[in-house]
Amino acid sequence: MKTEFNEIYLSSVIGRSVINNKGEQLGILRDLIMIPGDVFPEVSHIIFKSPKGVQSLPWSEVALFTHIVISSVGINPPGLRPYETQEGEILVKRDLLDKQIVDVNGAKVVRVNDIKLGNLNQKLCIFSVDIGFRGLLRRLGYERFGGFIARSLRKEIPQTEISWEYVQPLEIHSSKLALNIARNQMNELHPADLADIIENIPIQNIRTVLDSMDAETTGETLYELEPEMRNVVISQMDDEEVSDILEEMEHDEAADVLSDLPEEKAQELLDLMDHDDAEDIQELLEHEEDSAGGLMNPDYFRLSSDITVGRALQILRENAAEIETIYYGYIVDNEERLEGVISLKTLLLADPAIHITDVMEENIKSVTIDAEPVDMLETLAKYDLIAVPVLDDEHKMAGIVTVDDVLAHYLPSILKHKRR
Amino acid sequence: MLFLAILGPGIITANVDNDAGGITTYSLAAAEYGYSVLWMMIPTTIALVVVQEMCARMGAVTGKGLSDLIRESFGVKITFYVMIALFLTNMGNSISEFAGIAASLELFGISKYVSVPLSAVVVWLLIVKGSYKTVEKVFLVACLVYIAYPVAAFMAKPAWGVVLKATVTPTFKSDSGYLMTLIGIIGTTIAPWMQFYQQSAVVEKGITAEQYGFTRLDVVIGCILAIVVAFFMMVACSATIHANGLKIETAADAALALKPLVGNYASTLFAFGLFNASLFGACILPLSTAFYICEGMGWESGVDKDFEQAPQFFWLFTAIIVISALIILFPNAPLLKIMFLSQVLNGAVLPFVLIFMMLLINDKKLMGSFRNGPIYNVIASITVIITIVLTIIMTLDMAVPGLLKRFLSF
Repeated sequence: MKTEFNEIYLSSVIGRSVINNKGEQLGILRDLIMIPGDVFPEVSHIIFKSPKGVQSLPWSEVALFTHIVISSVGINPPGLRPYETQEGEILVKRDLLDKQIVDVNGAKVVRVNDIKLGNLNQKLCIFSVDIGFRGLLRRLGYERFGGFIARSLRKEIPQTEISWEYVQPLEIHSSKLALNIARNQMNELHPADLADIIENIPIQNIRTVLDSMDAETTGETLYELEPEMRNVVISQMDDEEVSDILEEMEHDEAADVLSDLPEEKAQELLDLMDHDDAEDIQELLEHEEDSAGGLMNPDYFRLSSDITVGRALQILRENAAEIETIYYGYIVDNEERLEGVISLKTLLLADPAIHITDVMEENIKSVTIDAEPVDMLETLAKYDLIAVPVLDDEHKMAGIVTVDDVLAHYLPSILKHKRR
Repeated sequence: MLFLAILGPGIITANVDNDAGGITTYSLAAAEYGYSVLWMMIPTTIALVVVQEMCARMGAVTGKGLSDLIRESFGVKITFYVMIALFLTNMGNSISEFAGIAASLELFGISKYVSVPLSAVVVWLLIVKGSYKTVEKVFLVACLVYIAYPVAAFMAKPAWGVVLKATVTPTFKSDSGYLMTLIGIIGTTIAPWMQFYQQSAVVEKGITAEQYGFTRLDVVIGCILAIVVAFFMMVACSATIHANGLKIETAADAALALKPLVGNYASTLFAFGLFNASLFGACILPLSTAFYICEGMGWESGVDKDFEQAPQFFWLFTAIIVISALIILFPNAPLLKIMFLSQVLNGAVLPFVLIFMMLLINDKKLMGSFRNGPIYNVIASITVIITIVLTIIMTLDMAVPGLLKRFLSF
């Protein structure tokens, strides 16, 4: 048994004496080298400062590891070497302690106050990071004092630790492992949470985070950022990359992003984009940002009047991936004039064999392309709609505005939080 | 509008530099010692430019704030004590801002028991409602009132030959009051909060090492502008108040410096300038202090949160505002003295911040090819040494009065 504990804090071992089995002092513990392990990262070597300089000792030759003393196997352990810094290696204290990390669970950026090490199958592993007040007090040497105050106030000092599996370092010098895990976990976060994280980390690290996400998530995250921050991030990326991301985004969201950029930059990006996408977005950009034309999405579930309900459902299945809102089908003629609307519910309940014109609603509620948000909200609320069609000056179908787009306009303080 | 367009972090920081404490310190120094303190301005300018440029460079290269870097490089213990020192000095500055508010509005006949609580509430609301960024522009435009000082300085028709000579000839006086004035001038011009503030402003703007050239220009121009204003403020005070053998006891006396320009409106103009600068500072200091401390300690921050989500952040700036305002509300609080002493405290904390900055900016792993050159290091080291020596001498002299005189007579 090498250790007499199940768990120990890094702060309580750093600075302790390292001795050999005769009790002669070898040096003072300075750091631990970390390597990827089966479940948790493992400590491969300990690093200590001796009169002969900084030396490293493999974990397999550490006999005792406690918060009082650390001792080696034998008098002259064979693995004892002068320590030299190596590119890409991770030192627990140097590279993790006091650094910023992403708490993937809470979707926020916090600081590592302490690190909990643990004994797993005779290996020293990194179990969790302490981000709480207790860890802070421990590091400052005021844990007892803090505990005394807390007891006299009859309160607990909360223990805030995050298991290593939920934590990702943002800036390890070059570690593939870290980025791999990050990629999986980053994509699981909601883009709004990702945006929160991005707003809190150094600009140099934003690239690392963005690079670990797919283009679609990147697009949604960019959209969730505050315009000011978003423009800064975009200016850090090359135009090709941005135009690829914009192509992946919903057209109305892409238009929003572009409209916040300087005109020249926006035009450059549009020129780089796929022609069809660029054309749609260009059209959206020409409308006032807050009008129906600015808020609408030009992609909608589009049907013609000469089909059956069954065929309509088939069309829906084929195209649903491309369309943001599928709760209404809009029946239009050759000239894009709106003839009727059918809700998804009606479609699902109707007999697949009957003709679509027999079940569609012909009394259509719509808004004009220059409608104000208040007009749209009124129509949506009055008729209990999730989306409302937008008609252009020639009464042709231009797109749809969904209730969440209108809400986002009215609740900026809630949906798009303020910054500083 | 062009003025707003070219505004960068450097110019904004330098503008806030001439806050309540600044105006008071420069006025008091010049009124008491006349032209003989003017020589301070050239070395102080050089030191200010060097120090502020270092911060901007660190911000651009690392993308991190100063307290962030201190925490990551020196650990939590050192950070904690630096943050306490920063909290105390910034509290001092914040007190002096409220003193400025009280003093300036008293010139309009408004009692401090009305003006200070009201301003505290306004400042708190501006911060919490997040409307501060918008108001910042108004403050900055109002800073144009400083143009009054150069004009007033010229209209006072000082003997320019004497002024120029005094500017380039260092003179020393061996009393602790003079030393305190020197430290005060350094402390108010190169205040510790400015380094933290400027670095995070650069970071927040997303300036990177590649785009750094423009920012360097912005910093240099800002620093020079700030000192030019301070210089003429001192010339104006010397030519009017000191030349007539008057002393500054209250803010109304300091307003006399503007008399050659606007005659009897001097106190109105002075009060307006002081009020604007004070309110500006009273917004910036508590808010930015809360930001740096939370950044260093790893606590949630941001005005879009609330007391529940970011308790430390909200309590920090709330406490600074409330305590500062309360201290000013003490009956017969010596407002000018408070403003001046807070700047001396700045000067005493400055060398420690500079030492950390020197260590960080010479760190190869952090700064790569953007490390300091030898000339920079020499100037920064001289600034550190001079402020430390001055602080030690001042402390000794206050502890054992007359020690300095005996020492110098050898």
